[in-house]
Amino acid sequence: MRRRKFGALWMILPLYVFTLIFVAGPLIYMIALSFAEANEVHGVNWIFTLDNYRKILEPVYLDTFLQSFRLAVTSTAIICLVGYPFGYFMARMPESRRKKTMLFLMLPFWVNSLIRLYGWIIILQKKGILNHILQSLGLIEKPISFLYSYPAIVFGMVYALLPFMILSVYSSAEKMDWSLVEAARDLGASRTKAFWTVTFKLTVPGLLSGIILTFIPSMGLFFIADILGGNKIVLVGSLIQEQMTRAGNWPFAAAMAVVMMVLTTIMIVMYRRISHVKEVEGIG
Amino acid sequence: MKKIATGVLCAALAASSMTVPVLADDQEMVLYTWEGMFPQEVLDGFQEETGIKLIYSNFDTDETMLEKLSMAKGGDYDVIIADDYIIEAVVQEGLAEKLDKEKLTGYDNINPLYQGQFYDPDDEYTVPYGAGIPLIVYDPEMVDIEIKGYSDLWNPELEDSIALTANYRVINGITNLTLGKSMNEEDVDSIKETGEKLLELAPNVRLIQDDNTQNALLSGEASVAFLYTSQVMAALAENPDLQVVYPEEGLGFGIMGMFIASDAPNKDAAYQFVDYILQPEIAAQCFDYMGYYCTNKAADELVDPKLVVPDSVSSGEIVQNVSQEAEEQYNKNWTEFRAACD
Amino acid sequence: MNENRMKKNSKFAGFYLGLIFFLMYLPIGVVVVFSFNESKLPVRFTSFSTQWYEKLFHNSAMLEALCNSLILGVLSCLISAVIGTLGAVGLSRIHWKTKGVMEYISILPLMTPEIILGMVLMAFFYMLNLPFGMLTLLIGHTIFCVPYILMEVKARLAGMDPALEEAARDLGASPFRAFQDITLPLIMPAVLSGSLLAFAMSMDDVVISIFINGPKVSTLPIKVYTQLKTGVTPEINALCTIMLGVTLIALVLYFLVRRIGKKNRME
Repeated sequence: MRRRKFGALWMILPLYVFTLIFVAGPLIYMIALSFAEANEVHGVNWIFTLDNYRKILEPVYLDTFLQSFRLAVTSTAIICLVGYPFGYFMARMPESRRKKTMLFLMLPFWVNSLIRLYGWIIILQKKGILNHILQSLGLIEKPISFLYSYPAIVFGMVYALLPFMILSVYSSAEKMDWSLVEAARDLGASRTKAFWTVTFKLTVPGLLSGIILTFIPSMGLFFIADILGGNKIVLVGSLIQEQMTRAGNWPFAAAMAVVMMVLTTIMIVMYRRISHVKEVEGIG
Repeated sequence: MKKIATGVLCAALAASSMTVPVLADDQEMVLYTWEGMFPQEVLDGFQEETGIKLIYSNFDTDETMLEKLSMAKGGDYDVIIADDYIIEAVVQEGLAEKLDKEKLTGYDNINPLYQGQFYDPDDEYTVPYGAGIPLIVYDPEMVDIEIKGYSDLWNPELEDSIALTANYRVINGITNLTLGKSMNEEDVDSIKETGEKLLELAPNVRLIQDDNTQNALLSGEASVAFLYTSQVMAALAENPDLQVVYPEEGLGFGIMGMFIASDAPNKDAAYQFVDYILQPEIAAQCFDYMGYYCTNKAADELVDPKLVVPDSVSSGEIVQNVSQEAEEQYNKNWTEFRAACD
Repeated sequence: MNENRMKKNSKFAGFYLGLIFFLMYLPIGVVVVFSFNESKLPVRFTSFSTQWYEKLFHNSAMLEALCNSLILGVLSCLISAVIGTLGAVGLSRIHWKTKGVMEYISILPLMTPEIILGMVLMAFFYMLNLPFGMLTLLIGHTIFCVPYILMEVKARLAGMDPALEEAARDLGASPFRAFQDITLPLIMPAVLSGSLLAFAMSMDDVVISIFINGPKVSTLPIKVYTQLKTGVTPEINALCTIMLGVTLIALVLYFLVRRIGKKNRME
């Protein structure tokens, strides 16, 4: 037993060292920053203050948090609905095709995300490809405005983050022992029941890591709201960006980042509680 | 699987290793600005003429530049080009070199219209490199009203049809101009009023975007757009029938300035570069490529006539740094405005 | 036999996968088409031209940046794969009180807005006196790549039977052997999918990179996203098209060679 622990110790050593130095260090600096005061010209004065947090409570900024959160929840829910079946079907493919599928799933990532979004604009714009097709099929008379709307942002988020969900679900469904499902069926469970009681339960860890990997970035990917949504939804990410840049108020930006981190953490913990998963990623 | 991955990676690495440039000269200098500010021929021309290897380094926002430059204590970078307002901070922090004008033979080519500005009142540190005036551009086929100034943007006829750039100081600024105030209004209560006026614009806004805003106008997503100069030029190049409006309430100016870092590793090369760009032929090439107003008087005859500021435009206001309280209120106005656009 | 029946996908599954793939590649097709567009603006296709390819080949800085991005992506992905995989496996075996905290801290970079992370990393590296350049970029990218691998591998390990490796150890295998022969093959799909995600993130990161790169090192995304003043040119479309083309050809060749190899062996 002792020897086994010793082996585990060597395995976690790089992670512990790396995390403590390069992740915890900068984050402590960030938290310290959030209690400092912005300098008039540039930089910060290291004077303790709670003003930055107080400011977040102003309705303008509270609204922004709410909007971001709503968008993240909506996007994540849709990503789950779309991505879970994909990951599940992928795990049921013959082995040789799984690897190909995985590679082709990631290939679009070779293309710069900005350029890919421009691709969508060309398809979705008023005089774009999609409207053209719909019109020539006689389905619509006037071109539809797809862009610069809430659904367009959600669509962009789903497009950008889907592979994270798919791959997470896939890697936990792939190891599943399908004979368990078979057994459930043999015991008289319906196909649906067998799925919910066996397959789904066993793939929850993957689903959860997928949710974490999609929910968190969807709070911050403001360039999607910018390009597909015409900046009409204010995300916390873009507020932070503005405070860091033109407004030059780092402490306020840092405070918003801390609040966002806390909120995300609460969300994940709550989700964990609700889904009753004991051994789950992320937060132990 | 492992083999595929290794195979792909090896191929990628092999392909990329061929592109590593051959270092010929030990003389080098770092140019630090946005990407796409110079045509490749100008960069190549400078390297050929002087034998100095030019390293073109980029930042995304002015603030990133200020951060990195102050961290390097004015070192690491040689020539920097950035926006007017940030140069004020750069100078205050002592990160810019006081120019030795003897070394700049082309210094007199500069158009004095762009000199003596707030960020460098005595022209000690900077050489202007391009100016911008955000203008209203519209498609007369899609707009029934005549647009003369900013105030027309509030016209209810234009519901859901305006594309705006995303610089919050500029958008607040034109609202100020509409209300007959300065773009740089400092009084917080007055700025709050500006915010209320701005909110009334929200129903007309189709999108707010900083990059490639002109595309929305060209693709018919918007019928009116408030665009940066390079975007105005790009839009006109694609569709010459578009109407350009110099708003009657007054114009907002923006100037990009070129300066040498206070502790530049290769100052001689830096001076050579600035002087190279000051040559009228070279300057004209640069402005034509960028699509910003020509700041080099001697290049006015060589450059695309559209890039010479018309004589009728004699004055404009530059967005300057304001107090922190004012800045905060402008930012709040902006956030409220964006949320109201949805 | 039974297992086969259960695992076979229905026609609906095939249709579904096809549809999602179609949607994923739709904008990519547009990107490729517009790399041959005469006009600089991605609004409508004016006429066929290869000028952006010519411009790209004269833009040595862009190509150098691509090279840097590839090296950086591969290296940070490899390093974080090692740290993340070992870490996830190690964590599943210990029961310390600090374990949860540790896991939490290591995924925090995902929750931190990039611009803040970039800024604090810059200040932190400066404090440590690290020279800004490839090294700082590598550390920075590893910081946000580790969580992807850690999370994927953890999800895979959840509920896996530790008895397997224990059995191997009981049979006299060294810890290293047991890990290599038993655990690693089992978690390999997760390591791979995590690495692919990490590589994609590294290849697309701009905000963090821009703060922690040195004056002489640029990455491809930096060159793309800093074209703020004048707009992105279709040179990037051309570059992406070439990258896609090269990768596709390499993949197809690989699969062909393997298929022929298999056939020969069968005969």
